[in-house]
Amino acid sequence: MAGWRSLFHGLRNLLQPGKRQRDVADEVEQYYEEAAAALRERGISAEEARRAVRVESGTMLAAREQAHSYGWENAVSAFFADLRFAARQLAKHRAFTLTATLTLALGIGANAAIFTAIDSILLAPLPYNNPDRLAVLATRYSHIGETMQRVTGPDGVDVREQAKSLESVSLYTGGEEGVQLRDRATYTEVTWVDENFARVFQLQPIAGRLFTDTESHRAALVSEQFARDNFGSAQAALGQALHIESEAIEIAGVLPGAFHYPRKTEVWEVFSLQPESKSRTAFNYRAVAMLRNGASFKTAQTELDSLSQRLQAAYPEDNRNKQILAVPLAEALTGNARPTLMLLWGTVCIILLIACVNVIHLQLVRSMERQREMAIRKALGSSRWQAMRPVILESLLLAMLGCAAGILLAVPAVRMLVAMAPKELPRAGEIHLNGWVLAFTAGISVLTALIASILPAMRAAKVNAADAMKQDASRGMGRKGAATLRDGLVVAEVAATFVLAVAAALLLRTMTTLTTNDLGFAARQMLVVDADNPAHTEDDYRTVLRQFDEIFAKLQTIPGVEHVAGVMGLPMGPYGSNGNYTARGGLPVDPHNKPWAIFSVASAGYFQTMGITLKRGRDFNAQDTYDNPPVAVISESTAKQSFGGIDPIGKQIQCGLDSDKWMTVVGVVGDIRQDSPAEKPGPALYMPMAQHPHYANQIHIVLRTKVKPLTLMNIVQARIAQTNPRIAMRFTTMDALVNESITTERFRAVLISLFAGAGLLLAMLGVYGTMAYTVAQRTFEIGLRMAFGANRSVILRGILRHAATLACCGIAAGLVLSLALGRLVAAMLVGVRPTDPVSLGAAALLLLLTALAAATAPGWKATHIDPLKALRTE
Amino acid sequence: MTDENTDVIQGTLDMLILKTVSLEPMHGFGIARRVEQVSRGVFKINPGSLLTALQRLERAGWLGSEWRQTENARRAKYYTLTRAGKKQLEQETADWARRSGAVTRLLKAEA
Repeated sequence: MAGWRSLFHGLRNLLQPGKRQRDVADEVEQYYEEAAAALRERGISAEEARRAVRVESGTMLAAREQAHSYGWENAVSAFFADLRFAARQLAKHRAFTLTATLTLALGIGANAAIFTAIDSILLAPLPYNNPDRLAVLATRYSHIGETMQRVTGPDGVDVREQAKSLESVSLYTGGEEGVQLRDRATYTEVTWVDENFARVFQLQPIAGRLFTDTESHRAALVSEQFARDNFGSAQAALGQALHIESEAIEIAGVLPGAFHYPRKTEVWEVFSLQPESKSRTAFNYRAVAMLRNGASFKTAQTELDSLSQRLQAAYPEDNRNKQILAVPLAEALTGNARPTLMLLWGTVCIILLIACVNVIHLQLVRSMERQREMAIRKALGSSRWQAMRPVILESLLLAMLGCAAGILLAVPAVRMLVAMAPKELPRAGEIHLNGWVLAFTAGISVLTALIASILPAMRAAKVNAADAMKQDASRGMGRKGAATLRDGLVVAEVAATFVLAVAAALLLRTMTTLTTNDLGFAARQMLVVDADNPAHTEDDYRTVLRQFDEIFAKLQTIPGVEHVAGVMGLPMGPYGSNGNYTARGGLPVDPHNKPWAIFSVASAGYFQTMGITLKRGRDFNAQDTYDNPPVAVISESTAKQSFGGIDPIGKQIQCGLDSDKWMTVVGVVGDIRQDSPAEKPGPALYMPMAQHPHYANQIHIVLRTKVKPLTLMNIVQARIAQTNPRIAMRFTTMDALVNESITTERFRAVLISLFAGAGLLLAMLGVYGTMAYTVAQRTFEIGLRMAFGANRSVILRGILRHAATLACCGIAAGLVLSLALGRLVAAMLVGVRPTDPVSLGAAALLLLLTALAAATAPGWKATHIDPLKALRTE
Repeated sequence: MTDENTDVIQGTLDMLILKTVSLEPMHGFGIARRVEQVSRGVFKINPGSLLTALQRLERAGWLGSEWRQTENARRAKYYTLTRAGKKQLEQETADWARRSGAVTRLLKAEA
């Protein structure tokens, strides 16, 4: 009650400061008047009475001060008065304020932007029901320590039926597919799911129903967007048919717009709870699961461990060393992005630190200037805290300005980040600024203010009134400690910037490696058509083969087209297969460690079209038909790994792609990099389309062109549609595919280079600031030396030497740091090691030159000091 | 002037003010004068301390105040005892009686 009243009185006084002042003054005055009047009543003259009252009660002023200083609101108004003073000081020193604000804005803005990404990707809960209970099943081979987020069909069923800590488990598989609608064909992400899928994600359709395992005919769910784009509305889509691989599927229900799991799925087609694949070594499925309410990932894993052991005992051959894991869905989705985001965060933290150092620097320079002010405050008896307060308040104000400017900077930065984000960056669409980010930003701003002010504030508090009054830096009598501290800060700044520059150099060199690596094929001037020709029956597949042959011939006649071929398993493409194979007549094989290769199915002329060199033997030709003996072409790595020095032509090879027939090796081609330029060229096995029709309906048609590839898009599309309008098509170029495969690396390289550039700019400012200040301080001394005949070049050299010394110390410290931190980025580098001397050397040179450049202007200014003027000052 | 101690005993100023105001509404100087007169000059209150104490008591809700004309036709701030102030005064009085009785007994026992 009393607390409230005190608060109320205080607030009223804060809001009407004049009224309180008048009231107190009035009351005090009335007191003294009454006191004097009382004395006068005893017959003392007015003058005497007033003096007697003063003697007895002290002066009116003192009484008023005492009465006035009561109340908590006085501390508040004192604080605001100090704040106003700090604001006036900042307004007066505009250059200082602007530099410090921009510096902080850079550091804070970069942090806000990266934290936005981290918050949205790593910290925000997934946009599904009960996101904490969702898991992905993964399989781990303990002897090689490799984990994949896939399961085999039978293993998945065993987990579903036996694991008690998992409420529901759903298997799924899928990818981009051609979907035929009534009048056209389109490419869409299609996922085959079992009926448990809706249970795991607790889905409710916005129209229609979910499906069950006992669908009489095939049914699918579609996304709201898909329904609206293709049928007008969710209701209109119900009961409509779409065709996937020539099969009619009825749309049973429509799922709400926000749901697209996995990836960007728009069509979910039901498949049986009993998976088609019965193999325990074919990882054909992915699986999601929901933990039972109250079960933890730890208990679930314990249960899966014992289940894995039972399976190992039951299937000693197939399940050897196989372990099934439950990985939190959030971790499974975002795990790959974590290192990149952490690298970025580390970088922006360094930027913020450099910004802090710069502000400390500026503050120190200012506090040198205001030593006299401090000394006077001290001499007048202000306490340690009172002396520190203006410095800290200025810092806080600066941080607030920096925070506001930083957030303004972060908004476009986040937009740029999202635009640049590689396709694989999960949840990129969800990235946005929010309250948490603002709170975080405000938090780091305050922290920054404290870090940046603590040193200068402590120095201010230590000012000794008598010493400071005597000292006069402009006469060359500055304190040694101050200069050492400033130099130390510059060294720290250079060291931090060096680390950034090294990181940027390493990532840029990685990019160079990736863009100049020999891919094993020629990516320029190549149009790629994703073509999905629906097929279901054996006859369909035969027809598809015939149609593609016809299409290749037709496309070949288009002016500007040099070569045409088809392939399943295009490098950098979405489709492909791989696995173990067996060879006869070559090197002995370890039965537990069978050789492995990428499997591709290609048409005749594929190698020529791609520019893959034929090393021995022949390409596929018209004689390699379905009914003739099967043939294969192998890559050099395959030849080396399975045949060593023996000539592989005519030898037999077998793989489990679609049949276990032995194939005769008819040719050897050069190695290619299959998944990305970052990958090493490896073993590959090529088979002719005609002999593997089940892998020949969803292919890439590749066209080597003499003109710009995309200019042929329309005519190619028309020619293909002439043959069969139900072929779903999508166009791209090989260049674009190669580019996309390295977007993560490019994203990192560009961002880190940007940050390193920002760091460099700040370091330059720091060096410039120190040098300019030193020169200004030493004007008298330099003038004196010049008056005694010192050479201009000697003066300039002295200043540059000082800058170079600082830079070299910083580079040395940065070198140690870089070598220590190098292993953190080792995994992100290709073709270059963290200790790469070229990168380290380049960074060192860059920093040295930057420091010298920053020192040149103050140095030049120093050589132009007029001795007479300098000596005459004051 | 004498060098006798005229300071109000620590912690009793509030009680003295409340007691004084309990008789009738009074302004600051009135309170000081009354305390001095009744104590026969033993206690003299410094105006700075008095006005600070008055603010404190007002904020505690024990005193009410209003600006009125004095008999000299001067505007002055008059303080009145509130109900809460009355309770507080009773409590402090009882407390004081208990303590001073104890001190007196101790002093007598020693003599």
